[in-house]
Amino acid sequence: MKAYKYVGKPIPRQDVSKVFGDAIYAYDVKLPGMLYAKLVGSTYAHARIKRIDYSKALKVPGVIKVFTGEDFPFKVGIYAADRDVLARGKVLYYGHPVAGVVAETPEAAEEAAELIEVEYEPLEPVLTIEDALRPDAPLIHEHMEEYRHASFIYPRPGTNIANYLKLRKGNVKKGFEEADVVVEGEYREPLISHAYMENWVGIARVLSDGTVEIWSSHQSPFAVRHLLAASLGLPIGKVVVHHTFIGGGFGGKAGLLLEHIPVLFSMKLGGRPVRLELNREENFLFMAQRAGYLFKMKTGATKDGKLIAHYGEYYLDAGAYADYTVNIGRSVGFVPTGPYEVPNIHVDSITVYTNKVPTTAFRGFGMQEMHFAFEQQIEQLAEKLGMDPLEFRLKNAIVPGKSYLPTQVRVREDAGDPAGTMKRAAELISWGKKPEKPGEPWKFRGIGIASFWKGPVQPPNAASSAIVKVNEDGSVDVLVGTGEMGQGTIYALAQIVAEELGIPVEKVRVAPIRSTDSVAYTWQTVGSRGLFSEGQALMRALDDLKNQMKEIAARVFNVFKDEIEIKDGKACVKGKPWECISLAEMALGYTLPNGNAIHGPLIGRGSHVPSQTTYLDPETGRGEPKPFMTFGTSAVEVEVDLLNMRVRVLKAVTVLDTPVINPGLALGQAYGGAVMGISIALNEELKLTKDGRLLNPNFTDYKVARAGDIPVEMVAEFLGVGQKNAPYGAKGVGELTMIAWPAAIANAIYNAIGVRIKKLPITPDNLLEAIKEQRPELLKELDKYLLGGE
Amino acid sequence: MRTVLAFRTILPTFTYHRPSSLAELLELKAKLGKDAAILAGGTDLLVDMKMGVKRPPHVIDIKSIKELHVLEYKEGSGLIIGPTVTLRELETNSLLKEKYPVLWDAVRKIADVALRERATLAGNIANASPAADSAPALLVYDAKVELTSVNGSRLVPLREFFTGVKKTVMKENEVITKIMVPEPPAGAKGEYFKAVRSAEDLALVGIAALVANPNNPAERVVRLAYASVAPTPVYVKEVEELFKKDEPLNKLIKEAVNIMLSKVSPISDVRATREYRLHLVKYVTAYLLRKLLGVK
Ligand SMILES: Cc1cc2nc3c(=O)[nH]c(=O)nc-3n(C[C@H](O)[C@H](O)[C@H](O)COP(=O)(O)OP(=O)(O)OC[C@H]3O[C@@H](n4cnc5c(N)ncnc54)[C@H](O)[C@@H]3O)c2cc1C
Repeated sequence: MKAYKYVGKPIPRQDVSKVFGDAIYAYDVKLPGMLYAKLVGSTYAHARIKRIDYSKALKVPGVIKVFTGEDFPFKVGIYAADRDVLARGKVLYYGHPVAGVVAETPEAAEEAAELIEVEYEPLEPVLTIEDALRPDAPLIHEHMEEYRHASFIYPRPGTNIANYLKLRKGNVKKGFEEADVVVEGEYREPLISHAYMENWVGIARVLSDGTVEIWSSHQSPFAVRHLLAASLGLPIGKVVVHHTFIGGGFGGKAGLLLEHIPVLFSMKLGGRPVRLELNREENFLFMAQRAGYLFKMKTGATKDGKLIAHYGEYYLDAGAYADYTVNIGRSVGFVPTGPYEVPNIHVDSITVYTNKVPTTAFRGFGMQEMHFAFEQQIEQLAEKLGMDPLEFRLKNAIVPGKSYLPTQVRVREDAGDPAGTMKRAAELISWGKKPEKPGEPWKFRGIGIASFWKGPVQPPNAASSAIVKVNEDGSVDVLVGTGEMGQGTIYALAQIVAEELGIPVEKVRVAPIRSTDSVAYTWQTVGSRGLFSEGQALMRALDDLKNQMKEIAARVFNVFKDEIEIKDGKACVKGKPWECISLAEMALGYTLPNGNAIHGPLIGRGSHVPSQTTYLDPETGRGEPKPFMTFGTSAVEVEVDLLNMRVRVLKAVTVLDTPVINPGLALGQAYGGAVMGISIALNEELKLTKDGRLLNPNFTDYKVARAGDIPVEMVAEFLGVGQKNAPYGAKGVGELTMIAWPAAIANAIYNAIGVRIKKLPITPDNLLEAIKEQRPELLKELDKYLLGGE
Repeated sequence: MRTVLAFRTILPTFTYHRPSSLAELLELKAKLGKDAAILAGGTDLLVDMKMGVKRPPHVIDIKSIKELHVLEYKEGSGLIIGPTVTLRELETNSLLKEKYPVLWDAVRKIADVALRERATLAGNIANASPAADSAPALLVYDAKVELTSVNGSRLVPLREFFTGVKKTVMKENEVITKIMVPEPPAGAKGEYFKAVRSAEDLALVGIAALVANPNNPAERVVRLAYASVAPTPVYVKEVEELFKKDEPLNKLIKEAVNIMLSKVSPISDVRATREYRLHLVKYVTAYLLRKLLGVK
């Protein structure tokens, strides 16, 4: 990357309020006269509600009101709009909120909640993808045809299918005829949780002029505003969403969360502020989690090592509400293979309803899940071909400018450098070198690699904008709508401003806490799109601002505009660095010696909308889905211990092709992404009983990696191959850093002990089961070492 | 039975007592019986109360009772641990580390430092979880529990203390006033193996192993005890007897493993499958015995 003064430097984030404890989270918002809401959940996974009796709850002193589903006879949501405010008629999963208490104190609300009684008529719960698709399966959503949904979603009323996406490229039948080797596999991944630190909280009120205000823990303030307005029929200009710091989102706080609940409660209670604050157990049950997956794949290659055909049936276990997950079904459907050119593809991606906790977006948007399966197909094909898996990958890697996407459009020439990431990651993991043999004979080491790609999954017209204002001291305020949840996009944007205007980064402020009525619009803070999208809008806003600076200076110095340049926060006549006006001098316009003033306050504005993305053809998926793709490769060295059946990641390497604006923040994403991905690979699963009760709505038994589980060594690199229309070439990285780990670890385990792991998570239980099935002789050896054999 | 799920953020109301002497505590306990729960570190009790597993109308905090805060070792008679001694105090005690390595190893493997700063050994035992990490370690040292009520004290061997999941021989009016750990056999060494899912976890299986005089059958002591393999922590007397035999160690280890496999009854639950637990009992038992007995 070219040497810049600010861009590309690991400048620590300017805002350190979290360190000093003065950062404001939605949790901190307390309003005068505030009421407290509490939800109660169903004890059945699937049942008709025969009667709800809350008379005892109402008698608790301080209780104002108890609401049930019948109070809110409409649906809310984003893509499938299938969500009830509170269960209506039926409960659809264990924990489904059936009633809400509102009281003057949280104590009263909690006491009353326990007194609510519900009479159910149990129905057969649908708990697996296979059961959901049975022709005689009970219908979970009986009136799907009435749901409002996005135009690119294809639900099948009368079944449990929430979305059916078809992708067709080339001729798969012919492709398989030409294939010399074919690998078939089934891969399963469970429902998991985002496990963000901050439980969801929302505080809403309705002002006397009808304005609805909400403070809540969300990623995307403008999406909350839009979906609140659309779902509740409110005029959007009367909805104000306040964005505070948030304690992690990982996709779990994308779109509309539970904001509608305190808003509706407040609307029914004369506008009094209502606070709904979830505890950990509630957050596991009332908030949406990540879908479960079943991938059935058949992939073929020719003997010279070229991928030739891929057939896939992909199923998403979306739980009771697929509102957001239907779009993930699209995501894995139109990017159904890894970063390789596959000429013939036939994939159906089917999102199904089950009686489980609802699901939503999750960092990676289906790509971690899909790559877990596909990157193992790749390894198995290479093995059948007798080819080195790295070489096989390189042979098939997408070639920018030449290759075609699964959706049939040509990959842009400046799309990135997939092959470069493969080579570098291989180098960093010492590919081809046998790992050291550990001392104990029951420990085995192996290395594994997995490549990946991902871009944002968004409507083709997902827009963003930016406003840049100059203050009297020459400092700059930037107004953008992107959320701050720790990823630090706003701080990288500040660096771009500093670079473009030549001012110290300390003079640029992008407030982390903002409101929709006072910042510039952006669609959502998701899909690793923030820097790319807001960045482009910001570059235009800065061009606009610089143009205004040039206009002022041109008038003052009596030269043409193109004779002015912007340097070090000043507009100067080219070649005469002493003829300059500083940003401070023209912040509010420039005052001539006689008192006449010109131009008025400096304010730059810029917009961005991806101009090349399209809707996809409903029959083939043909079209341009994404404004960019980031390419990368991860590799791991693992140690498998057959005594305790645990897998430990010794070294984790990840290489992305893109340049980055702030390497410090990018490394933060890379390390965090690695730990998250490894945790998902080895530990995480929402576990249900046979009748659908969630067994682990807590961190005692929903296991997330702890400090002691972090790999011994982590390496991340960015190759600096930029896309021309991206700000300083930088594409997204946030999600990319966590995609490949389950696949790389599974490949490394195979390398270590010759066992293929097709089911996540790779817990000791599951590893033992896989060994018993695939290589029982390993246990015989253990017997020999420890018990002297038979 | 409740027909809705309601998860508390705030503890339900209760009356809080904070006696400053043992006599006062015993009086309160005599009066309130099972309506009163003892609060030591609270790391089990408060979780249970929040989750609605327990709803005691009275809570008696024993942390202000100075006479209960004892940690003493006497050559010959062993160690006395009072019920308000925290796990962190034990973990950082160099004598414990040297004289009672199995107990020390088990204690330092409980949760994390922050939790060990609060939680007590007596609480771990009184709570009577099958997964209590200190229990197997205390079992291999043949620890005794002193239970006291207004009527006096009695000494119960830990091996007779547990009666079921979260059940003990403790009476409603009794409290644990001491845990007594006898002097270990001379030259005893050992360790606590804890199988976990992540760096800090409850035991999927816990195995305490203590060995003294491995090469002299007459004097040889081998003791094994287990967590999370049955409704109560498991100590198996037969293993100790077995190793008194003058037979090849390899053979004894195999027999010990078979005895253990016949004595445990692990279940499949949210934490691990029965199959995996049996795998651990079988191989880790062998691994520990070989290591401690010096079998190559
Ligand atoms: C995050 C977390 C992690 C944990 N990890 C582990 C782990 O790894 N291993 C493990 O074994 N445990 C673990 N626990 C459980 C718990 O921390 C331990 O059991 C701890 O030792 C309990 O001690 P305490 O002093 O906090 O007990 P308290 O909660 O105060 O009491 C526990 C029970 O014993 C009773 N009690 C306490 N003292 C007496 C007394 N003197 N006489 C009579 N009854 C008494 C109480 O009434 C209560 O029923 C964990 C708990 C948490 C919250």
